[in-house]
Amino acid sequence: MNDEHVHEREGVDILFFDIGASTFGTDASQVLRIDRSLPEDITLPELGLPHRGHRALVFDTPEGEGHLKVDAVHAVRSIPLSALRRMPPTAGAAPYAVGVCLEEDRAVLLIDLVETARTQGRH
Amino acid sequence: MAPDRAVAAQARPEQEFFCFRVGDLRLGVPSENVLEVLRAGLLTPLPRTPSFIMGVTGHRGEVLPVVDLLRFLSKGEARIGPRTRLFVGITGSYVAGVVADTVLGLRRIPVAEILPPPLGGDASAEHLLGVVQGHGTQDAINLLNFSKLLQTARQRAVAR
Repeated sequence: MNDEHVHEREGVDILFFDIGASTFGTDASQVLRIDRSLPEDITLPELGLPHRGHRALVFDTPEGEGHLKVDAVHAVRSIPLSALRRMPPTAGAAPYAVGVCLEEDRAVLLIDLVETARTQGRH
Repeated sequence: MAPDRAVAAQARPEQEFFCFRVGDLRLGVPSENVLEVLRAGLLTPLPRTPSFIMGVTGHRGEVLPVVDLLRFLSKGEARIGPRTRLFVGITGSYVAGVVADTVLGLRRIPVAEILPPPLGGDASAEHLLGVVQGHGTQDAINLLNFSKLLQTARQRAVAR
Protein backbone atom coordinates (compact mmCIF):
# COMPACT_ATOMS: atom_id res chain seq x y z
CA MET A 1 0.00 0.00 0.00
CA ASN A 2 1.50 3.35 -0.96
CA ASP A 3 1.45 6.63 0.97
CA GLU A 4 -1.37 8.00 -1.16
CA HIS A 5 -3.73 5.21 -0.10
CA VAL A 6 -2.80 5.67 3.56
CA HIS A 7 -3.40 9.41 3.23
CA GLU A 8 -6.84 8.82 1.68
CA ARG A 9 -7.88 6.65 4.59
CA GLU A 10 -6.80 9.12 7.26
CA GLY A 11 -9.71 10.96 8.71
CA VAL A 12 -10.74 13.45 11.34
CA ASP A 13 -13.74 13.01 13.62
CA ILE A 14 -16.08 15.90 12.89
CA LEU A 15 -19.08 16.72 15.06
CA PHE A 16 -21.93 18.22 13.03
CA PHE A 17 -24.40 20.60 14.65
CA ASP A 18 -27.09 23.12 13.74
CA ILE A 19 -27.45 26.76 14.68
CA GLY A 20 -30.63 28.20 13.24
CA ALA A 21 -31.09 26.89 9.71
CA SER A 22 -27.39 26.20 9.10
CA THR A 23 -25.23 23.15 9.70
CA PHE A 24 -21.66 23.48 10.93
CA GLY A 25 -18.88 21.11 11.83
CA THR A 26 -16.14 21.12 14.41
CA ASP A 27 -13.22 18.90 15.37
CA ALA A 28 -14.92 16.46 17.74
CA SER A 29 -11.78 16.25 19.88
CA GLN A 30 -12.46 19.85 20.99
CA VAL A 31 -15.83 18.90 22.47
CA LEU A 32 -15.81 17.79 26.10
CA ARG A 33 -19.56 17.15 26.32
CA ILE A 34 -22.99 18.28 25.21
CA ASP A 35 -24.90 20.06 27.93
CA ARG A 36 -28.07 22.05 28.52
CA SER A 37 -27.46 25.67 27.59
CA LEU A 38 -27.47 28.56 30.00
CA PRO A 39 -28.49 32.15 29.21
CA GLU A 40 -24.89 33.37 29.43
CA ASP A 41 -23.55 30.81 26.95
CA ILE A 42 -21.88 32.01 23.77
CA THR A 43 -23.97 32.87 20.71
CA LEU A 44 -22.41 34.15 17.52
CA PRO A 45 -24.99 36.16 15.55
CA GLU A 46 -22.69 35.94 12.52
CA LEU A 47 -23.41 32.20 12.41
CA GLY A 48 -27.14 32.80 12.71
CA LEU A 49 -29.31 33.03 15.80
CA PRO A 50 -30.30 29.75 17.43
CA HIS A 51 -34.00 28.88 17.15
CA ARG A 52 -34.16 27.63 20.70
CA GLY A 53 -30.56 26.98 21.61
CA HIS A 54 -31.41 24.50 24.32
CA ARG A 55 -28.10 22.68 23.97
CA ALA A 56 -24.49 23.78 24.33
CA LEU A 57 -21.24 22.35 23.07
CA VAL A 58 -18.80 22.42 25.97
CA PHE A 59 -15.14 22.75 25.15
CA ASP A 60 -11.88 23.48 26.87
CA THR A 61 -10.06 26.80 26.62
CA PRO A 62 -6.92 28.00 28.39
CA GLU A 63 -9.21 30.08 30.65
CA GLY A 64 -11.63 27.29 31.46
CA GLU A 65 -14.71 25.77 29.86
CA GLY A 66 -16.46 27.44 26.94
CA HIS A 67 -20.11 26.86 26.06
CA LEU A 68 -21.52 27.49 22.58
CA LYS A 69 -25.32 27.50 22.22
CA VAL A 70 -26.62 25.24 19.45
CA ASP A 71 -30.01 23.96 18.32
CA ALA A 72 -29.17 20.36 17.48
CA VAL A 73 -26.23 17.99 17.51
CA HIS A 74 -26.31 15.42 14.72
CA ALA A 75 -23.44 12.99 14.83
CA VAL A 76 -19.73 12.47 14.94
CA ARG A 77 -18.45 11.13 11.64
CA SER A 78 -14.96 10.31 10.47
CA ILE A 79 -14.29 12.57 7.49
CA PRO A 80 -11.36 11.77 5.19
CA LEU A 81 -8.68 14.44 5.03
CA SER A 82 -9.28 14.63 1.30
CA ALA A 83 -12.73 16.16 1.98
CA LEU A 84 -11.39 18.94 4.18
CA ARG A 85 -10.28 22.29 2.79
CA ARG A 86 -8.74 25.40 4.30
CA MET A 87 -10.68 28.62 3.91
CA PRO A 88 -9.67 30.38 0.69
CA PRO A 89 -7.67 33.54 1.53
CA THR A 90 -9.84 35.61 -0.81
CA ALA A 91 -12.81 35.03 1.49
CA GLY A 92 -11.38 36.83 4.53
CA ALA A 93 -13.73 35.04 6.90
CA ALA A 94 -13.78 35.26 10.71
CA PRO A 95 -10.79 33.56 12.40
CA TYR A 96 -13.00 30.85 13.90
CA ALA A 97 -14.14 29.79 10.41
CA VAL A 98 -11.15 27.55 9.80
CA GLY A 99 -12.20 25.59 6.77
CA VAL A 100 -14.80 23.67 4.89
CA CYS A 101 -15.87 20.06 4.74
CA LEU A 102 -16.97 19.11 1.23
CA GLU A 103 -19.91 16.76 1.23
CA GLU A 104 -21.31 15.96 -2.23
CA ASP A 105 -22.94 19.21 -3.38
CA ARG A 106 -22.60 21.21 -0.19
CA ALA A 107 -19.81 22.82 1.76
CA VAL A 108 -20.12 22.66 5.55
CA LEU A 109 -18.33 25.40 7.44
CA LEU A 110 -15.84 24.13 10.04
CA ILE A 111 -15.71 26.09 13.28
CA ASP A 112 -12.83 26.30 15.77
CA LEU A 113 -14.69 26.36 19.09
CA VAL A 114 -11.79 27.78 21.11
CA GLU A 115 -11.53 30.64 18.64
CA THR A 116 -15.25 31.43 19.08
CA ALA A 117 -14.60 32.04 22.77
CA ARG A 118 -11.60 34.25 21.95
CA THR A 119 -13.75 36.21 19.50
CA GLN A 120 -16.21 37.04 22.26
CA GLY A 121 -13.45 37.61 24.79
CA ARG A 122 -14.92 35.12 27.20
CA HIS A 123 -15.49 31.43 27.75
CA MET B 1 -4.60 32.43 -42.12
CA ALA B 2 -4.67 33.98 -45.56
CA PRO B 3 -2.14 36.78 -46.01
CA ASP B 4 -4.85 39.45 -46.46
CA ARG B 5 -6.64 38.40 -43.27
CA ALA B 6 -3.37 38.19 -41.35
CA VAL B 7 -2.58 41.76 -42.36
CA ALA B 8 -6.09 42.87 -41.41
CA ALA B 9 -5.86 41.17 -37.99
CA GLN B 10 -2.51 42.81 -37.39
CA ALA B 11 -3.90 46.17 -38.35
CA ARG B 12 -7.00 45.73 -36.19
CA PRO B 13 -5.98 43.73 -33.12
CA GLU B 14 -8.75 42.22 -31.08
CA GLN B 15 -9.16 41.06 -27.50
CA GLU B 16 -11.52 38.29 -26.42
CA PHE B 17 -13.90 38.93 -23.54
CA PHE B 18 -16.33 36.73 -21.63
CA CYS B 19 -19.50 38.83 -21.54
CA PHE B 20 -22.39 38.49 -19.12
CA ARG B 21 -25.24 40.37 -17.50
CA VAL B 22 -25.78 40.81 -13.79
CA GLY B 23 -28.58 43.05 -12.57
CA ASP B 24 -28.77 45.95 -15.02
CA LEU B 25 -25.07 45.75 -15.87
CA ARG B 26 -23.54 44.23 -18.98
CA LEU B 27 -19.97 43.32 -18.16
CA GLY B 28 -16.99 41.73 -19.87
CA VAL B 29 -13.94 39.99 -18.42
CA PRO B 30 -10.83 39.08 -20.44
CA SER B 31 -11.38 35.48 -21.46
CA GLU B 32 -7.97 34.43 -20.11
CA ASN B 33 -9.36 35.19 -16.61
CA VAL B 34 -12.27 32.75 -17.01
CA LEU B 35 -11.87 29.02 -16.44
CA GLU B 36 -15.44 27.77 -16.80
CA VAL B 37 -19.12 28.50 -16.22
CA LEU B 38 -21.34 26.48 -13.89
CA ARG B 39 -24.76 26.56 -12.29
CA ALA B 40 -24.88 28.35 -8.96
CA GLY B 41 -25.28 25.51 -6.49
CA LEU B 42 -25.63 25.60 -2.76
CA LEU B 43 -23.82 28.50 -1.15
CA THR B 44 -22.47 28.34 2.38
CA PRO B 45 -22.53 31.81 3.95
CA LEU B 46 -19.38 32.84 5.82
CA PRO B 47 -19.26 34.82 9.03
CA ARG B 48 -17.77 38.29 9.05
CA THR B 49 -16.88 38.54 5.37
CA PRO B 50 -17.38 41.69 3.29
CA SER B 51 -20.92 41.93 1.91
CA PHE B 52 -19.71 41.24 -1.63
CA ILE B 53 -18.61 37.72 -0.61
CA MET B 54 -21.86 35.75 -0.78
CA GLY B 55 -20.29 32.63 0.68
CA VAL B 56 -18.38 29.62 -0.56
CA THR B 57 -19.30 26.70 -2.75
CA GLY B 58 -17.63 23.40 -3.45
CA HIS B 59 -16.55 22.77 -7.02
CA ARG B 60 -14.33 19.99 -8.37
CA GLY B 61 -13.02 19.31 -4.89
CA GLU B 62 -12.08 22.92 -4.25
CA VAL B 63 -13.71 25.68 -2.22
CA LEU B 64 -14.61 28.78 -4.19
CA PRO B 65 -15.49 32.11 -2.61
CA VAL B 66 -18.47 33.54 -4.50
CA VAL B 67 -18.34 37.24 -5.38
CA ASP B 68 -21.34 39.50 -5.98
CA LEU B 69 -20.09 42.12 -8.43
CA LEU B 70 -23.17 44.29 -7.92
CA ARG B 71 -22.33 44.72 -4.27
CA PHE B 72 -18.62 45.08 -5.00
CA LEU B 73 -19.31 47.89 -7.49
CA SER B 74 -22.05 49.40 -5.27
CA LYS B 75 -24.67 48.81 -7.98
CA GLY B 76 -27.21 46.78 -6.02
CA GLU B 77 -27.36 43.20 -4.93
CA ALA B 78 -27.28 39.93 -6.91
CA ARG B 79 -29.92 37.29 -6.34
CA ILE B 80 -29.32 33.59 -6.77
CA GLY B 81 -32.08 31.83 -8.72
CA PRO B 82 -32.42 28.53 -10.56
CA ARG B 83 -31.01 30.08 -13.75
CA THR B 84 -28.14 31.92 -12.09
CA ARG B 85 -24.68 30.99 -13.28
CA LEU B 86 -21.24 31.34 -11.75
CA PHE B 87 -18.14 31.81 -13.80
CA VAL B 88 -14.89 30.67 -12.29
CA GLY B 89 -12.49 33.58 -12.53
CA ILE B 90 -8.75 33.34 -11.95
CA THR B 91 -5.85 35.72 -11.67
CA GLY B 92 -2.51 34.44 -10.44
CA SER B 93 -3.22 32.16 -7.49
CA TYR B 94 -6.61 33.73 -6.69
CA VAL B 95 -9.69 31.89 -7.86
CA ALA B 96 -13.30 32.93 -7.24
CA GLY B 97 -16.79 32.24 -8.48
CA VAL B 98 -18.60 35.30 -9.81
CA VAL B 99 -22.39 35.58 -10.08
CA ALA B 100 -23.89 36.12 -13.54
CA ASP B 101 -27.62 36.35 -14.30
CA THR B 102 -27.13 35.67 -18.00
CA VAL B 103 -24.11 34.60 -20.01
CA LEU B 104 -23.83 36.60 -23.23
CA GLY B 105 -20.88 34.58 -24.53
CA LEU B 106 -17.36 35.18 -25.79
CA ARG B 107 -16.88 38.27 -27.93
CA ARG B 108 -13.84 39.36 -29.87
CA ILE B 109 -13.67 43.12 -29.56
CA PRO B 110 -11.36 45.24 -31.68
CA VAL B 111 -9.03 47.06 -29.30
CA ALA B 112 -9.65 50.28 -31.25
CA GLU B 113 -13.33 50.12 -30.26
CA ILE B 114 -12.60 50.01 -26.53
CA LEU B 115 -13.26 53.46 -25.14
CA PRO B 116 -11.55 54.64 -21.95
CA PRO B 117 -13.54 54.49 -18.71
CA PRO B 118 -15.64 57.63 -18.21
CA LEU B 119 -13.85 60.46 -16.44
CA GLY B 120 -15.46 61.54 -13.21
CA GLY B 121 -17.25 58.20 -13.04
CA ASP B 122 -18.02 56.51 -9.75
CA ALA B 123 -15.60 54.34 -7.79
CA SER B 124 -16.35 51.34 -10.00
CA ALA B 125 -14.55 53.09 -12.90
CA GLU B 126 -11.19 52.27 -11.31
CA HIS B 127 -11.83 48.59 -12.06
CA LEU B 128 -12.71 49.15 -15.71
CA LEU B 129 -10.43 48.54 -18.66
CA GLY B 130 -12.86 50.46 -20.79
CA VAL B 131 -16.28 50.51 -22.39
CA VAL B 132 -17.42 49.17 -25.71
CA GLN B 133 -20.52 50.79 -27.18
CA GLY B 134 -23.29 48.70 -28.70
CA HIS B 135 -26.12 49.78 -30.96
CA GLY B 136 -27.82 51.61 -28.10
CA THR B 137 -26.85 52.83 -24.66
CA GLN B 138 -28.42 49.67 -23.18
CA ASP B 139 -26.05 47.54 -25.26
CA ALA B 140 -22.81 49.06 -23.94
CA ILE B 141 -20.52 46.58 -22.20
CA ASN B 142 -18.25 47.61 -19.34
CA LEU B 143 -14.98 45.73 -19.61
CA LEU B 144 -13.55 44.82 -16.22
CA ASN B 145 -9.93 44.75 -15.16
CA PHE B 146 -10.54 41.42 -13.45
CA SER B 147 -7.02 41.01 -12.07
CA LYS B 148 -7.22 44.36 -10.30
CA LEU B 149 -10.78 43.66 -9.16
CA LEU B 150 -9.92 40.33 -7.54
CA GLN B 151 -6.81 41.76 -5.89
CA THR B 152 -8.86 44.63 -4.47
CA ALA B 153 -11.51 42.18 -3.29
CA ARG B 154 -8.87 40.17 -1.45
CA GLN B 155 -7.32 43.28 0.08
CA ARG B 156 -10.73 44.45 1.31
CA ALA B 157 -11.45 41.01 2.72
CA VAL B 158 -8.21 40.57 4.65
CA ALA B 159 -7.99 44.19 5.80
CA ARG B 160 -11.09 43.77 7.96
